Amino acid sequence: MSGPLDGIRIADFTWIGAGSYTTKMLADLGADVIKIESSIHPDSLRLSAPFKDGKRGIDNSGYFADRNSSKRSITLNLKTADGVALARKLIACCDIVANNFTPGTMEKLGLGYDTLRQGREDLIFIAMSTHGSEGPEAKTVGYGLTIGALTGLHALSGLPGREPAGTGTNYPDHIPNPGHAAFALLAALRHRRRTGRGQRIDMAQTEPMIAMLAPAIMRQAANGIATEPAGNRDPAAAPHNVYRCRGHDRWIAISVPGDAEWAALAGVLGLARPEWATFAGRKSDEDALDDAIAAAVAERDAGALMAELQALGVAAGVVQTAKDVLLDDPQLAHLGHWRRLPHKVMGEVTFNALPFRFTRASIGPHAASPLIGEHTAEICRDVLGLDDTRIEALAAADVLK
Amino acid sequence: MTEPVAPGALAGLKVLDLTGELGNYCGKLFADLGADVVLVEPPEGIASRRRGPFLGETAGPDRGFAFAYMNAGKRGIVLDLGEAEGRAALARLAARADLLVESFAPGTLERLGFDDAALWAANPALVRTSITPFGQTGPFAHYAADDLTLLALGGLLYLGGYKDDLPVAAYGEQAYQAASLFAAVASMAAIHVAETKGQGDRIDVSAQEAVVMALENAVQFAELEGTVRTRYGGDQRQAGAGVFACRDGHIVLLAGGIGANRFWLRFVEWMADEAVPGSATFAAPEWLDAAFLKTPAAKATFLDIFGRYAMARTKAELYAAGRVRKIPLAPVATPAEILDSPQLAYRGFFVPGSVDGRTVAMPGAPYMLSETPWRMARPAPRLGEHTAAILADPAWGADEPRAARSAAR
Repeated sequence: MSGPLDGIRIADFTWIGAGSYTTKMLADLGADVIKIESSIHPDSLRLSAPFKDGKRGIDNSGYFADRNSSKRSITLNLKTADGVALARKLIACCDIVANNFTPGTMEKLGLGYDTLRQGREDLIFIAMSTHGSEGPEAKTVGYGLTIGALTGLHALSGLPGREPAGTGTNYPDHIPNPGHAAFALLAALRHRRRTGRGQRIDMAQTEPMIAMLAPAIMRQAANGIATEPAGNRDPAAAPHNVYRCRGHDRWIAISVPGDAEWAALAGVLGLARPEWATFAGRKSDEDALDDAIAAAVAERDAGALMAELQALGVAAGVVQTAKDVLLDDPQLAHLGHWRRLPHKVMGEVTFNALPFRFTRASIGPHAASPLIGEHTAEICRDVLGLDDTRIEALAAADVLK
Repeated sequence: MTEPVAPGALAGLKVLDLTGELGNYCGKLFADLGADVVLVEPPEGIASRRRGPFLGETAGPDRGFAFAYMNAGKRGIVLDLGEAEGRAALARLAARADLLVESFAPGTLERLGFDDAALWAANPALVRTSITPFGQTGPFAHYAADDLTLLALGGLLYLGGYKDDLPVAAYGEQAYQAASLFAAVASMAAIHVAETKGQGDRIDVSAQEAVVMALENAVQFAELEGTVRTRYGGDQRQAGAGVFACRDGHIVLLAGGIGANRFWLRFVEWMADEAVPGSATFAAPEWLDAAFLKTPAAKATFLDIFGRYAMARTKAELYAAGRVRKIPLAPVATPAEILDSPQLAYRGFFVPGSVDGRTVAMPGAPYMLSETPWRMARPAPRLGEHTAAILADPAWGADEPRAARSAAR
């Protein structure tokens, strides 16, 4: 298997959301990602729903599985001196050390950057805490949802006049933070390749999210104008909204930037009116426009309407559920997005592939997520160079749990 | 004496950015780490120059905040790819580039003569990354799309919005930006190979597929437990987890945390220490039971007790209490509050940028690299600002066929 990052090895102390997704991407791209965990204090995502057949179990979480494809797992008891020594020995065999703990945790374990860099000028170390390593709020605990609140994503997403709605997810964990962290790591790897020098990357998980909300921030800073949540409306299009269709909670999103697209949509829905022929006319009457479209599509099938409108060049999309994207989306199926991989406890389960294709390189996911400690002996032997007697002694002393 | 600027991690990389709003953020990520990124525009400029909001609420090709932000750090060239001269100039630049990022409709560059074979014949190590709404091939490949319809088809839109009302999209064209971000990651991975083995690659990025990565555990719920996750705005996701009104706005609270109840006991202690009326009930064991927490009765009880407490306090007071007690609690911050954040100020996050010649605070480094700091080197280019300079730049092949130079406008 030849992935773009073949030969890169990562000591992965990340857990839960954004950190695990960062190293998943690198693992799917071919890096040897060794997840260092402990059965004494497991990654809480391992005990997060959903579970295969609804049965709670440390190796049964689909949420954990999807975030940890292509990785290996070693369990080390970092409360023991031997466990820490093994972690340091493992790090000595790695190019990158990654964590998303609150600041100070790695230092408490004796695995802080200043310690690890001794004699390792080429080590790359990434810390991705909520607020960064220092500052008045550095020690605040955070999750994607609270990061969404702190960064404006939550306040800016919703209907005017109602409490803000956000995305309904821990969005910063899934795209902004893993995306930026992976990019920074790949850039640091390039610098190391060219100079032999590693470095420390300090990423505050609030900051990539704010970077992805720049226009509202800059508008406030420059114009003194607070951007209010606008539902699904957009100043540059009318209509631009979702409309309820036939069936249970079925919706279609329609976006019309220009008069030609409007003419096509109006033709399909029987809504041609002279006062709506221009953008200005539609924009100034958008409530009535939305009501008319809603009435016209209420008994339509969302999928059939999307196809009909798309044939005329109108941007329309079914508001798909997770079940739709998994089972009924011909485009994602065509791209091979969903990968069924054998998991040792859950059986065959579905994983997200990376959302891109390479023509030449082979990219993963190559394997399902590891069981907790699945590769402990293998890594002790092949990476750390320990013999079976030593491994057994360490296991007997509760170091490998 | 000013300190010498450390070279960026991507110094020496040459990037051609032939994208619009689907890909401009990708190029920015490269530019801010030191790559020489050239934004290639048609004579009328890219469409994102016409995208608001604008400086002073007045439209203008250099006044859009999104354009100014996403293209800061780049140089700009105008090439008319409808003309042979423009195509020749692009061919010359592409022969020198490490990365070409484009977001044309599938097949567009090929029809202009830039298929993979031609590009690689001139530059075997070139990485070409194509960002489109749905990918280069497939039943939706030629579908019309914008950010809203991509969020819809990607499944994220369904999860946002209110339990009792319509799905609502995330602010900020997140589908476009997700596509840009994954394109940047994929491109860097391919550059890693190109620089070590001399062989380029072609990358096909689908924005819809990028959005799917944001579905959290919703797909796994559908597959493993046969349940369809829905939006819950306006309600608690479970008792103690959600948005709560307070004296000056809203906060987000996760009293139970994710996957564990480790925060609940701290929350109970907080309420007890504050002698919050009714909070003794939180000590009952049912509050550690996930099934109970999902009941309307539990949510109503929680809202009644905590809601009253929160309404008498500010976002800042509640946030400080959450920090001290290590409970995930955050203010639903507005842009004005974010610009005033002491934590972001401590980190020097906002930097002076430039929009149409005026200094405007912009988000700065999304990551601090100790050896190769992030740096926004220049304002977004005015239309064609660097056309002559780039065509005369030996790094971009200026000593090669001179005819291409006249392609400048």
